[in-house]
Amino acid sequence: MSELTEMSCEEFAAVAAELALGVLTGRERARAIGHLDRCDTCREHVRQLSLTGEEMLGLLPSGEPPTGFETRVMGQLGHTTAARRPKRTRRMLATAAVTLAAVACGLGGWGLRGAISAPSPGISTAQTTLRSAALLTSAHEPAGKIFLYKGDPRWLYMDVDLDPDAGVGVDMGNGTVICQLETSDGHIVTVGSFHLDGGYGSWGSPDPIETASVTGARLTSLNGTVLATASFTAAK
Amino acid sequence: MGIPADRLPDETLLAGLGAGDADLSLAFVRRFQRVVFGVALTVIGDPTTAEDVAQQAFERAWRHAQVYDSRRGSVRAWLTTIAHNLAIDVIRARTSAPVDPKDLPALLTAMTDTPERFAVAHDNAAGVRRALAALPAGQARAVAMAGIYGMTARQVAEAEGVPLGTAKTRIRDGMEKLRSAYLREGVGDE
Repeated sequence: MSELTEMSCEEFAAVAAELALGVLTGRERARAIGHLDRCDTCREHVRQLSLTGEEMLGLLPSGEPPTGFETRVMGQLGHTTAARRPKRTRRMLATAAVTLAAVACGLGGWGLRGAISAPSPGISTAQTTLRSAALLTSAHEPAGKIFLYKGDPRWLYMDVDLDPDAGVGVDMGNGTVICQLETSDGHIVTVGSFHLDGGYGSWGSPDPIETASVTGARLTSLNGTVLATASFTAAK
Repeated sequence: MGIPADRLPDETLLAGLGAGDADLSLAFVRRFQRVVFGVALTVIGDPTTAEDVAQQAFERAWRHAQVYDSRRGSVRAWLTTIAHNLAIDVIRARTSAPVDPKDLPALLTAMTDTPERFAVAHDNAAGVRRALAALPAGQARAVAMAGIYGMTARQVAEAEGVPLGTAKTRIRDGMEKLRSAYLREGVGDE
């Protein structure tokens, strides 16, 4: 088997567009990819071409799908939509959107009750990675959700839905709870505390930790009893 | 409080889709179904297969919602790319030519048309749209055949009846002009 000869930048430039569009094949493709491993400039060039190709796809005409399409899609996803309290989840995500908007606007994120009437263009263009994980009690009962936003600034948002009658073993009535994050090196970092009303509450905070290193979260009572945990490493 | 789901940001709807929220999933599907189906239908041409592909695109979006990274592009662009990749897989499995070159002028007209809706909505691609409209016909067709229908330079050459080198040059030159327009829009910088 012959070894592939190295491709120069000039040679690469001649095929960069084909590579970016995914239509370069065979030996030429192998040589081009080999070149990319060694050349940052060409890698950036092909990245720009790739994004341009995606932009071009955005010019394609829309089409009205056949009647019943959305129902069939929802049916296909049906086994995943059995949220325990969908209305509540929706409210939580709406609040998360407000939080994101407020943070994006530099408001610190704590005027969660403030009105926002429409998605801000600043949100969709924010450099966002939104991670989420379910909060579970020790009995593996759903207890809410935590969101981590990896942007500038980073923030976390927690929505708690602890049923006082679910038997988590502690008095949940109007209690103060503590949010802690677990990092990949095993540290537990206390982020802050907030108040639950009848087991319900939502809270947001700037995220003090690089979100990539966060592997989990936990909610504790003031006496340290763990009420619920979330894992960002578990499969969805 | 409460924001109607159809007014939530794309990213929030995607998070809801990934989390299995029925309301947000429905809002996500409603917001993007025309875009996704349009991509699939343009590439595949057959409404029945296009619908299958569009459904698969939403399923894939649900499965991979957690790995969406907005630094890489908008939710719309991400979902469009998913649908496009699935559609390309379908037409590559066919033995017939992906597209009749005679159909390309109509597609390019649709892509470079500037209807009023783009003036008021999110026409981030205005620069690319104008650049595509300004390309020489041969370059525009080559770019569309490669970029939309996933045709190799050799397939483009055969479809157009030109030497392979000419087809490669048309793809390269056309895409470079679109890239320049894209960068002038300032959306390529991160």
